[in-house]
Amino acid sequence: MSCGVLDEEEFSRCCQLLLHHSDSVGDGWSWEAVQSSDEGYLKKTVLRSVPADQSITQKHKESGSDSEQFDYCRFKTEEQGVNGSADSLRPDVEDEDDCVCRAPGGSSCSSVLQFEYHVLYSCSYRTPVLYFRASTLGRSLTLEDVWNSVHPNYRLGLQSRPLDAITQQEHPFLGQAFFFLHPCRTEEFMKPLLQMTWDQNRPVNYVLSWLSVVGPMVGLDVSLDYVTLQQPTV
Amino acid sequence: MSDSAESPTETQKEEIHPPPDDSATNDDKKKIDVLLKAVGDTPIMKTKKWAVDKGRTVQSLAQFISRFLKLDATEQLFIYVNQSFAPSPDQEVGVLFDCFGSDGKLVLHYCKSQAWG
Repeated sequence: MSCGVLDEEEFSRCCQLLLHHSDSVGDGWSWEAVQSSDEGYLKKTVLRSVPADQSITQKHKESGSDSEQFDYCRFKTEEQGVNGSADSLRPDVEDEDDCVCRAPGGSSCSSVLQFEYHVLYSCSYRTPVLYFRASTLGRSLTLEDVWNSVHPNYRLGLQSRPLDAITQQEHPFLGQAFFFLHPCRTEEFMKPLLQMTWDQNRPVNYVLSWLSVVGPMVGLDVSLDYVTLQQPTV
Repeated sequence: MSDSAESPTETQKEEIHPPPDDSATNDDKKKIDVLLKAVGDTPIMKTKKWAVDKGRTVQSLAQFISRFLKLDATEQLFIYVNQSFAPSPDQEVGVLFDCFGSDGKLVLHYCKSQAWG
């Protein structure tokens, strides 16, 4: 691990350590091997209740508060239609700056979505990448559901470049449409963290640290148990 | 709030958003001592030691630090415990203190990044 990236062997090693720990705390991660090779990815399935009616009622707030009401879905009109499920969101222009997306005819009841998270290795970026999708009876994840699962803490940063941050992508191994969190900045935010830990001679699990940062951005909780219990270092 | 920025921080402590009539001790008000350390080229806070309500969330603390450092709205602030792990934004600092506190304080590292785009 150096300069904010890692090679595939280190990725696999970190994943195995994470799996070992996941097993001991019952966190539900598994390893999906690819064609009986060493190559593979981490996978976890989570059930989450999502309110079906996601009509937006609030204007954008600069400072964020601890309030539970948030702007769930904001796009710049000029950035529409790049890729992904454009046909599942209908922008309504609320003011001169932003448009707001509403759930297509949603009810006021909540639905249970099954989220699937996959951690793959990106050879081009030399970092892990988080793929995810969700499904429920009769309905697959829309981009709006994706935004609903983004923690408000990260929403503002993601909203400034939403279509670069979360996009639809073909899963490299499954060939199915997934959402994924773009890895272009991973090296940048991992680098100072790794540098700090290496300076203090306490190497860490790259994948675990990375996951703890990006997971909450897409509704994936990474338990403190991974750090509070003794674990072998890389 | 007077703030002698050049003096050692061990004896200098600030409270985050204290209620107007707060004059109680940390135990009474259930605050914990937090030591904030900058990572990388993130600006260093003049005041590093803070008394924080146990129930305050990581998200709230991150917002506080961002405002304090006057970060751009698109800059993301990450907070780490144990120098390696980003706790959930909803995690209460009191819980982090219980798990990772030592010498009566919780050390948190913070780092800014343009996480996207």
